[in-house]
Amino acid sequence: MYILARNIFRFFVVLLFQVLVMDNVMINGYMIPYIYLLFLLLMPFETPRWLQLLSGFALGLAMDLFSGTAGMHTAATVLAAFVRPYLLDLLAPRDGYEPDTYPRIHYNGFLWFLKYTLIIVVIHHLALFYLEVFQMQAFFSTLLRVVLSSLLSASTIVLSQYFVFRK
Amino acid sequence: MRTLLRFFQNYSNLLLFLLLEIFAVIFMVQGSSYQRTRLIGLNRQITGYIYNQVDGAREYLSLKQLNEQLVVENMELRNRLDLLSSKLDSSTVVSELKGEHRYFFVQSRIVRNSVNKQLNYLTLNKGKKQGVFRDMGVISDQGLVGIILESSANYATVIPIINRDFRLSAKIKSNNHAGILQWDGISPQFAMLTEIPFHAQLTEGDTIISSGFSSIFPEGIEVGSIESFSLEKGNFYDIRVRLSTDFQRLYHVNVIRNYRQEEQLNLENQHK
Repeated sequence: MYILARNIFRFFVVLLFQVLVMDNVMINGYMIPYIYLLFLLLMPFETPRWLQLLSGFALGLAMDLFSGTAGMHTAATVLAAFVRPYLLDLLAPRDGYEPDTYPRIHYNGFLWFLKYTLIIVVIHHLALFYLEVFQMQAFFSTLLRVVLSSLLSASTIVLSQYFVFRK
Repeated sequence: MRTLLRFFQNYSNLLLFLLLEIFAVIFMVQGSSYQRTRLIGLNRQITGYIYNQVDGAREYLSLKQLNEQLVVENMELRNRLDLLSSKLDSSTVVSELKGEHRYFFVQSRIVRNSVNKQLNYLTLNKGKKQGVFRDMGVISDQGLVGIILESSANYATVIPIINRDFRLSAKIKSNNHAGILQWDGISPQFAMLTEIPFHAQLTEGDTIISSGFSSIFPEGIEVGSIESFSLEKGNFYDIRVRLSTDFQRLYHVNVIRNYRQEEQLNLENQHK
């Protein structure tokens, strides 16, 4: 119950922070930090898959509503939520994850968290930016935006582990 | 039957995933024009209030820069006033104003700005109550900004030059060749001017202004200057335009109200 309340609270905090602060950050016209994925990344290991998908859907829909876009955040976030459990299996240590731990640097180490974050962020950004452009003409300039924004998003998310979500 | 049930059991997550994605894609495809406008309207109602509050801080932080801009604009206007009043005596001023009073400006503030998307929109803190309606032009003291897409009681959404759906008829000041200005989605500092024929004389740095062909903008509002041009695709130039409006730091804008817009549109529609 406590974990559920905490996650719901985190949903709104992350969303508001993204919309009010991060959406106003822009470097160069190429890099936008999308840190709202934090909510998805920090969900407990044993969350059922259907709940992850629905949470991703809700998160994407809320982002779409706030940024006035139709469906692209939803599509990208649902994709990220779908990939997440498979990725967690892939990255699991030999004996599985310890009980009572969460996907954090504190429990799983810096390198693990960096890999985990980077892969999810890149998948999400690839889907998001190409859906936004919706054409093949600007393939390479979009790819550049994906790469640069992914680096910025991932590093912001990793940094947040040291300052906000320590445990 | 049992195999079918087992199939659903085994692949329930995949099916849920596909279902949600299909929903998102339908949302995306259908939201092409009308629904997107509705969605932005809804979004503005929800968020307009929040942004208005947050905006106080931003306003305070940009006071210094704003002050400098106002001083410059003031000086320019005063110069122009001096020049004009020396040319005209008072009787002609009055008669000219009577006949030519077509435009009225509504001063407004941007409460929400985006420059990093493909479909950027601005939100203004003036709406129908202050006389801001659909299809009115928006300018700043730096130059042309965009067009009102929709307005509610106290807020309005602007589709700026830096939106991939934006189209504007613009011309080159030095030779009056008119073309279509649109954004290529790459940088908020540049846009593309197309459909300028190959025989036009171009120079880098030439000023681009609004053409005045539509009823939205008066003629001669500055849009930007030519950064570079090329003649790759046949008979028309691809002109890269450096926009004079700095969208990343845009704050105060004016909405243009054209008193004769309706009359012009009615006349044009009669002959369609």
